[in-house]
Amino acid sequence: MQALLSFDKSPPLAAPFRFFLTAPVMGMLAALLFLLEGETILASRWTPAALAVTHLLTLGFLAQVMLGALIQILPVVAGANLPAPLWVARLTHAGLLGGTLLLVFGFLWGSPTGLLLGGLGLALSICTFLAISLRALWAVPSTSPTIRSLKLALLALLVVVALGGGLVSVLVFAWGGFDPRWVDLHAAWGLAGWGAALVVALSLVVVPMFQLTPGYPARFSWFLVPAVFAVLIAWSLVQMWADGAGARFFQAGLAVVLAAFALLTLRLQAQRRRARADATYRYWQFGLLSAILACAMQLTVALRPAVSEAPAWSLAFGMLVLVGAFMSFIVGMLYKILPFLAWLHLQNLVPGGKGVPAMNRLLPEAGAAQQFWSHVVLSFLLLLAVIYPLPLTWVLAGLAGLFSQGWLLYHLWRVAHLYWRHLKVIQLGKAAA
Amino acid sequence: MTHPKTPHIVDARYMEPPEPFVQTMEMLDRIQPGEKMLLLLFREPHPLYRVLLQNGHAYETELLPDGTFEILITR
Repeated sequence: MQALLSFDKSPPLAAPFRFFLTAPVMGMLAALLFLLEGETILASRWTPAALAVTHLLTLGFLAQVMLGALIQILPVVAGANLPAPLWVARLTHAGLLGGTLLLVFGFLWGSPTGLLLGGLGLALSICTFLAISLRALWAVPSTSPTIRSLKLALLALLVVVALGGGLVSVLVFAWGGFDPRWVDLHAAWGLAGWGAALVVALSLVVVPMFQLTPGYPARFSWFLVPAVFAVLIAWSLVQMWADGAGARFFQAGLAVVLAAFALLTLRLQAQRRRARADATYRYWQFGLLSAILACAMQLTVALRPAVSEAPAWSLAFGMLVLVGAFMSFIVGMLYKILPFLAWLHLQNLVPGGKGVPAMNRLLPEAGAAQQFWSHVVLSFLLLLAVIYPLPLTWVLAGLAGLFSQGWLLYHLWRVAHLYWRHLKVIQLGKAAA
Repeated sequence: MTHPKTPHIVDARYMEPPEPFVQTMEMLDRIQPGEKMLLLLFREPHPLYRVLLQNGHAYETELLPDGTFEILITR
């Protein structure tokens, strides 16, 4: 069985581990910023501190895990093999981490140099990653909805980077004034075109695989991400060149399509054959409910635009989407995939898997389930702070964020540490033999 | 595309990894050269595809409306 399980083309675990271990550190930085600058962050989505915390979450946490995971799973879910994956990982990780920190520094200290260098670092590293992964992916025919959706998600990321780069140039060189509509497009392409499309593309594979649910109906799977993409293009064109009513129509369309996906996933999960509710399942349920609530908010804005004028509205929406939905999907997925990958890689190195610790020993399930509740508490405290912006609420939310992300970091570090330790023992054993 | 009937079926749709992989390889060991087997999954098994090609097995994949991938493998 040893040879049969050999994943000869799968990248070394050092490739994605660096991303996964960095993400919670960025999450802790976001929490620390919330603790110290809560008043400014909660005043409006446009304050420098709010922009800084948003990018710590989107680039520092979400994109870190998403790009790191893609390097690992593109060969598995799409049959697309990246050349020199460890080098792609090193370059992307360094640029993404350095770029994020410089951009955040630029926002917080009003430093044009920070913004410019951060923007350049991010654009270079993400575009390098995109060039390599799109090339590998384009060589693969779109034989499944997942492959087609992945191609579209990566193209959307290119749009996000282009819009982000444009916004940084406007800020740094003060070209022709600042138009908030471009920021909305940057966010919409990032959250729906890239983030949601990627979650959808991977859900089609991982929800039935790890949660033992029925599959997604084929017609719906083929339609979903192309529909998101088409609506985003239409929305972008109307947003820039027509009146607000047209844009609201497409905004509503996007909310309906994504809510349909979330509701369908909840229905599939209700039919799952795995009786036990593990941390991954709980995280996904929480993420899906947050996503449905966010879609309902989006639909409300499309029908009654005036409600979004209250500062709390867009902040609550942002937290629901970033922390309630995306972070939940990602952490839920990490808790399932990381111990599995570590176990599989070790298993492949030892005949019969002798001495390889069980997955539950690499990451005890009870610990992950407890960490999930800290994430729920954090989400509610964040929402409370948005609704009642008082020192008590934002300090509590910041502390909860530090605690929850610190706990996640400990769990991920533990898996990595046990993996390296066993790897060393196996290598020493082989050298002695 | 219609599949010729084969009595050798691994329905791995509700199995956890790496069980579908293991059962498919065991089934391939049991059937005769030239015989076909059918693997049912809710995803495309790209790592398995690589192993099948390396071992000289041909395969055809069809996605059914309910989201099942039918992979017909020739030993």
